[in-house]
Amino acid sequence: MKKITKKQPWKYLFWLGPFLFMVGFTAGLVSGSWGLLPLAFMIPGIAVIIFWVVWQSQQSRWWASRSTQAGTNAVVATLAILVILGLINFLGVRYQLRQDLTETQLFTLAPQSQELVRRLPQSVKIWVFDTNQNPQDRELLENYQRQSSKFQFEYVDPQSRPGIAEKFGVKEYGEVYLESGNKRQLVQSLNVNERLSEIKLTNRLQQLTNSTVVKAYFLQGHGEHPLTGGESGISQAVQGLTEKGYTVEPLNLADKLQVPNDAAAVVVAGAKRGLFDAEVKALQNYLNRGGNLLLMIDPDTDPKLSPLLQEWGVRLDNRLAVDVSGAGVGLGPAAPIITDYGQHPITKDFGKNISFYRLARPIEITSVAGIQSTPLLQTKAYPNSWAESDLQSEKLEFNPDKDLKGPLTLGVALTRKLPATSNPIPTPTAATTPSPLTTPTTTQNQATPTPTVTTSPATSTPTATTTSLPSPATTPATEEKSEQSPKESRLVVFGNSDFATDGVFQQQLNGDVFLNSVTWLSQQDQQPLSIRPKEPKNRRITLSTSQANVLTLSSLLVLPLLGFLTAAFIWWRRR
Amino acid sequence: MGIVLANIIAIYRRELQSYFISPLAYAIAGVFWFISGLFFVTILFGPDGILPSVAAIDLQGQQLGVPVPLIDVPYEFIRAFLDRMGWLLLFILPILSMGLYAEERKRGTLELLATSPLTNWAVAVGKLLGVVTFLITMVAPLLIFEAIALSGSNPPMSPAIPLLGHFGLILLAAAILSLGMFISSLTDSTILSAVLTFGLVLLLLFVDLIAKSIGGPVGEALGHLSLLKHYNTFIQGIFDTSAIILFASYIFLGIFLTAQSIDALRFQRQ
Repeated sequence: MKKITKKQPWKYLFWLGPFLFMVGFTAGLVSGSWGLLPLAFMIPGIAVIIFWVVWQSQQSRWWASRSTQAGTNAVVATLAILVILGLINFLGVRYQLRQDLTETQLFTLAPQSQELVRRLPQSVKIWVFDTNQNPQDRELLENYQRQSSKFQFEYVDPQSRPGIAEKFGVKEYGEVYLESGNKRQLVQSLNVNERLSEIKLTNRLQQLTNSTVVKAYFLQGHGEHPLTGGESGISQAVQGLTEKGYTVEPLNLADKLQVPNDAAAVVVAGAKRGLFDAEVKALQNYLNRGGNLLLMIDPDTDPKLSPLLQEWGVRLDNRLAVDVSGAGVGLGPAAPIITDYGQHPITKDFGKNISFYRLARPIEITSVAGIQSTPLLQTKAYPNSWAESDLQSEKLEFNPDKDLKGPLTLGVALTRKLPATSNPIPTPTAATTPSPLTTPTTTQNQATPTPTVTTSPATSTPTATTTSLPSPATTPATEEKSEQSPKESRLVVFGNSDFATDGVFQQQLNGDVFLNSVTWLSQQDQQPLSIRPKEPKNRRITLSTSQANVLTLSSLLVLPLLGFLTAAFIWWRRR
Repeated sequence: MGIVLANIIAIYRRELQSYFISPLAYAIAGVFWFISGLFFVTILFGPDGILPSVAAIDLQGQQLGVPVPLIDVPYEFIRAFLDRMGWLLLFILPILSMGLYAEERKRGTLELLATSPLTNWAVAVGKLLGVVTFLITMVAPLLIFEAIALSGSNPPMSPAIPLLGHFGLILLAAAILSLGMFISSLTDSTILSAVLTFGLVLLLLFVDLIAKSIGGPVGEALGHLSLLKHYNTFIQGIFDTSAIILFASYIFLGIFLTAQSIDALRFQRQ
């Protein structure tokens, strides 16, 4: 039967097909992109294989035989079944029914999270910049995804896709970002001890979907840095704020004489000329009704803000802060390097990292009743830094008569509790009433400012906030926030405005100092949704020693022996 | 319909009988029991086991007066045990499924089956039922041990999660056995059949890893094929219809392909 075929060495050229295909495929896999090179290998490879198959079938005419017909039937039937099974599974995933049987609902989202994700107004994507995917985290993200198709997530290796990582400003592995539209926000940083938390994620989502606009006003008209780019502009700082969800607008107090009510914060960035008294008064009024002010005042200028600053116990020194330690990194003595930060929300993540301030003036703080102040930026101690009064002389020298020894304070954050207004003790009633009614209790604060500086009984305020827990059935959580009114006014003073200008803003921590200050000022640390962390039920197994022994013996010895002995017995009998 | 059912039952009984008089089956059961017993004891009482480590945490908490983290010991135990059992099955099941058809081929009885009036479907279903039943009898004694251990649970645990976990275990086993049966019908070498099945099962395991590295909708679809991922949802205590549908698809696919391959055999012989 066998035909003796002639040897046809060129027949083996067929092996080029799979070979080329594999080369292209591997190249594509390794480089991660399917560009010209992998395709240049794969397409000829496939072409060779197809050619070979056609040629072979021409040779053997296999399609004419009966077994081929049956075989074709089988192949078609198999393909059909595969497609049908695929479709069934697709539908099964789409319309799946999940029931969490664990007693504490370990794998189910809190009702608040479910509600929030279901009514997401626009699509939201979570980017996890990590190489290893913790199954627990993934499970949580999949749970979110099941609620709404608007929620998506992706794991990204920052090293293999540096473009995306740079877009988000990823600093280390494990950072989780939330992106919606053109807003991007850090949710949390994952590590071995800290897994992805539903509480944080849901609260970030809530913040992001929040419809209220947070406005930051920049005072203009006295030689402040322009908001647009260009010479000494602060366009990068403005852009940074916009990315954080702020709306930035210029403010001209000379014709309005009042700070708009929707101002979350007012920034005075480097005013060169003095403000009118009426303008200062407007800022003072604004502070008194719970406003938030960021003052960045350069040396050698007098914006005439002393009455306002005095009220807060702040005095601007006219001398220049000098730091001779920065020469090694190319910063002159007039640009103090700060590595010493205060214990404050603004600077809590800074560690010993650097920010610098070209031409800065020290700030003196005196304590005033009812005002809490925290120095933010401290220069180094004396031999390295001091406040220089004589700027005319060629040589920078410490002059004990006129100069001030370091460490100097270049920035300070202050808070003043608003006096308790006409809205007395909302707590006891609020706590007992059902949750939908509790929210509007504190709205009147804004309307009735009282300029007296007293420390209010702080105890009543925090308890009031905890009562308005959103229960799943009530109003969407986003509305509750807008009704909150500030309970304190905040002020941040820097003896320098240069650190936030274009070019310098992106160097070292300078930008963070500015952005964190505005964030803290605007009191956007809004009330989080109260989601209880998932906790397993606390349960133990108590076994007596005899029970344990019986279990060990029977499972390790008796049962296996039973199997082996039976096997041996049957084998022996069969023999 | 009744005839088909009767045929299935006939095949099923023949298969079961062959298991219970085969020394090899008992030897496999013995190995399985020993390894699972080893897992059971080490997870529960071993030096790194749950009971000693939790006891140490409790003691530490009492001495230092710090609050002890909440631990659901029986839940953790049953989850860890079922997890190991899933892995163990991946190694044991190819050995169970390898002989299903390959043995018949070797002995020459497959022609009898293929040309008999029985439909290939009935044969495949009967054989699969037989081997799944044998597996269940292998797992059953372990249930007693688990029941004893869980009876010491304080406060008591509802049986829902262990039952769901074992349900998932049986589904996982049936899916792998069904695919193994198909592979066994392709060859007359039991060893080759076992090796190929093991390879296929490993592939279905690693498809999850591949899927994760690909990402996107393709990765998602690939990830859905993973056996162990769906088994994990069950042992965590989540009842998920899509997982049941996936396992059922695998079982059906195995039976269908087996019937097809025996069909092809008929044509070849003609």
